[in-house]
Amino acid sequence: MALDRKIAYINLSTGKIETKPIPMEIRKKFLGGRGLDAYLLYNHAPQGCDPLGPDNPLMISGGILTATCASATARTHIMAKSPLTGLLGSANMGGFFAPEMAWAGFHHLVITGKAKSPVYIWIHNGRIEIRDAAYLWGKSTTETQWAIREELGDEDIKSAVIGQAGEKLVRYANVMTGIKNAAGRTGMGAVMGSKNLKAVAVRGTMDIKIAHPIDALEYNKRFIEGITSAKVSGTQGSLGTPFIWGATNSWGGLRTRNFQYNQMEYADDIEPERLDEIATETIGPHHMTGCFGCQVHCRAQYKIPSGPYAGKYDEGPEYTSLGAFGSEPDCRKAETVLTGNHLVNQYGVDNLEIGSMIAWAMELYELGIITSKETDGLDLRFGNDEALLEMVHRICLRKGWLGDVLADGGIPASEKIGKNSFEYLVQVKGMSNLHSDERGTPGLALNIATASRGSDHLRSRPAIDLYHLPEKIMRKIYSNPVPYDGPLSSEHTDYEGKPWQVFWHQNCFMAVDCLGICKYHTVFLGATLPNFEDWPKVIYYNTGLEFTPVELWEISERCNNLERLFNLREGLTRNDLKKGDMLNHRYFDEPTKRGAPDVVGLTIDRQKFKKMVDEFYNHCGWDKQGVPTSATMDRLGLNLEPSHLL
Amino acid sequence: MEKVLTVDYQKCTGCRLCELVCTVMHDGISNPARSRIKIVKWEEEGQYVPMICQQCEDAPCKNVCPVGAISRDVDYGFLTIDHTLCIGCRSCVSVCPFGAMNYNQIDKKVFKCDLCGGQPQCVRFCDMKAVDFVAADNMTTIKKRNAATRLYASQKHATAIQEQI
Amino acid sequence: MANDSEKLSSAESLRKTRTFGKVRCHNPSCMERMEPSPGAAHIKCATCGMEYRIYWVRPDLPRIRGPVWEVNRKIAAEALSRKLSTSKSKSQVKEGVKDGVR
Repeated sequence: MALDRKIAYINLSTGKIETKPIPMEIRKKFLGGRGLDAYLLYNHAPQGCDPLGPDNPLMISGGILTATCASATARTHIMAKSPLTGLLGSANMGGFFAPEMAWAGFHHLVITGKAKSPVYIWIHNGRIEIRDAAYLWGKSTTETQWAIREELGDEDIKSAVIGQAGEKLVRYANVMTGIKNAAGRTGMGAVMGSKNLKAVAVRGTMDIKIAHPIDALEYNKRFIEGITSAKVSGTQGSLGTPFIWGATNSWGGLRTRNFQYNQMEYADDIEPERLDEIATETIGPHHMTGCFGCQVHCRAQYKIPSGPYAGKYDEGPEYTSLGAFGSEPDCRKAETVLTGNHLVNQYGVDNLEIGSMIAWAMELYELGIITSKETDGLDLRFGNDEALLEMVHRICLRKGWLGDVLADGGIPASEKIGKNSFEYLVQVKGMSNLHSDERGTPGLALNIATASRGSDHLRSRPAIDLYHLPEKIMRKIYSNPVPYDGPLSSEHTDYEGKPWQVFWHQNCFMAVDCLGICKYHTVFLGATLPNFEDWPKVIYYNTGLEFTPVELWEISERCNNLERLFNLREGLTRNDLKKGDMLNHRYFDEPTKRGAPDVVGLTIDRQKFKKMVDEFYNHCGWDKQGVPTSATMDRLGLNLEPSHLL
Repeated sequence: MEKVLTVDYQKCTGCRLCELVCTVMHDGISNPARSRIKIVKWEEEGQYVPMICQQCEDAPCKNVCPVGAISRDVDYGFLTIDHTLCIGCRSCVSVCPFGAMNYNQIDKKVFKCDLCGGQPQCVRFCDMKAVDFVAADNMTTIKKRNAATRLYASQKHATAIQEQI
Repeated sequence: MANDSEKLSSAESLRKTRTFGKVRCHNPSCMERMEPSPGAAHIKCATCGMEYRIYWVRPDLPRIRGPVWEVNRKIAAEALSRKLSTSKSKSQVKEGVKDGVR
């Protein structure tokens, strides 16, 4: 059964491999996936360790539901100390890797040390082997995956790999599987690269016994119907995440030209519907594909229609590629977006971060803070499609002065570029935000400021805040599974009640990541999708473990607090612009210039923002500095951490 | 009434939920190696083709079986293995032109699609209807209509162009 | 109870509140529900005047493709200049002031 999947410790310096069962006591406290990874990180990462050094442990995991008879249990979670932020590194990807790893007998891997030369890890039905990867070094993400299949002679092998960006230690290189599934954020690919680890390949045919199979099957049917019948799933399954980009642009929540604007007007050629037309023309009417066991199928397929890469097959683009190669650099050609998306997938780099870096450099170039001397003659102005794509190559391969500097991430780059370049860098904890603009939405601004892995939308974003839901419906969602009778506002421009919503979503998304399922199957983009009350049934039918909704909530709180403890240990302080829960001054000082009548002219109010953070900390059980209080540590049983039980 | 499984591979999103529910239904286990349906993929091109048992009329698996363990179900028309007779020689696995007769190395048994006894779970869970379960005397009606619609539309388009000229 | 399969969860009970065939105005202070006529390419919000291009995901599922830029840009520019004239300094332009175009 799912609970008998093991954990493996792999030391690449010594070649020592050890496997262990995961004790039930640990399962009940941390479930699996991100939660258990957080436990492992807190226990195995030495304080202050070099993120690119051999001591930094790299965790790769599936959730407790991975590969069971539940919906969309495709997610792979990867955790380590981040080379981009120096704090928590954590990233999550879809595809087929984690289920295959579960059928191969493992839920969790802890990889330490550094191999003398490039290697990859091969896991097959309980056996683990470290193999030579010299012939794979320098290959792109997809070339690597196909080459491993060929070498081992099995087309069903799934691999989590790095591309050239990871090898070059670009500090926001990602780990990828399949064509475009990417554990994108916080530079987990650079951690793999620093260990000389090119790939982890898995293949399994081991049984996972379902505790109550017929009930699990029937309940899964009901669960799936709840998801596929939601309006958001229909749109998502037809246009993919670009639909969010389109909607966000419509009202003025889209970061454009590195935060100069909050809307990109007349972008007809890269609107989601236009991309859908290109996909239809180049692939056919059925061009949506999905991750393991998922009925939403939100990933588009396409071929690049024109230009030097014409005819290349790829998947996506997602919201972030539209942001990175559309609105942020102010480029309006579908060809550029689709080509840029292809390049980042091949190089294995976070499209979000690289797009933000280039847009930032473009603003600096237009301001004269960097000149053609730093760009080696490249005319790096906004709207220059060729310069944009050239910068992708330069960063991923660390070519030229600017390419090399930007590959180190925003804060180190700002120190090298100097002058007042830092003021224009839109980041939290050293990581760029989704290409969205939160000046009109205080709840979302609080989310990015306090997210555990740096500015991020997938940790606690109350995205349904934008739907203007009636208060009755808001109450029904947000006062479950624990009661809440404080303020809640349907207005997304308000500050009232937002801290609770962010707190609620922080727990909700942690639970999802522990289960190993996708966030499109919970209250993220759709208000009527499953949450705490629904999951205990799925867990019970599949694993036999019984939890109440409140117990799941507590597990989420526990895991979130562990992530917080790790961040605090590595130097997070509340108001630190580089390592704290603080927004760039542009959020407070520069009013928005575009958008719907209520959004135009808005900033985030400093005092009200401070009050929101206070209130959020209070909900979390943290003091005014954001440190968990001893009462919170007691309540969640964290006093003995690190407890080294695993 | 006899019904058959049909596949429209262009609709398949490659999610493999069918493989999962197949093994949970039959074995109470999640393990695609036990699945009677298998999605064959060309990932580099994004093409996915669900492979199923065709329940052949002149079935090689049935013909080759030395002990007569394979027979046809009278109600639904699928081919079924009698494991009390089966000697595990795997001749049926070798001879099946579709790779739809499988061998399970854990239980040491051959296995194949039995249409879940008339309620195929792969069909029930496939939202795209890439696999469908239709009346045998009616299986080409939808295809005919789709093809006819294309012809009809292009004819209308051609007429419109002629009128413009 | 973990295995109480009959009872509807909160999320399941909320599903009856879904409104198919409608979209909501993207103006935050408006958010009026609008029902485009089947197959319509445009819709104008009767409450606030914003205009949108419509895309049909399915025949029963319309979505806003984007603004009619000329119209909405003008409304935004008017709103901004009104806000700037009613506040002494830019830094006071912060609140989600209810807009006059309602």
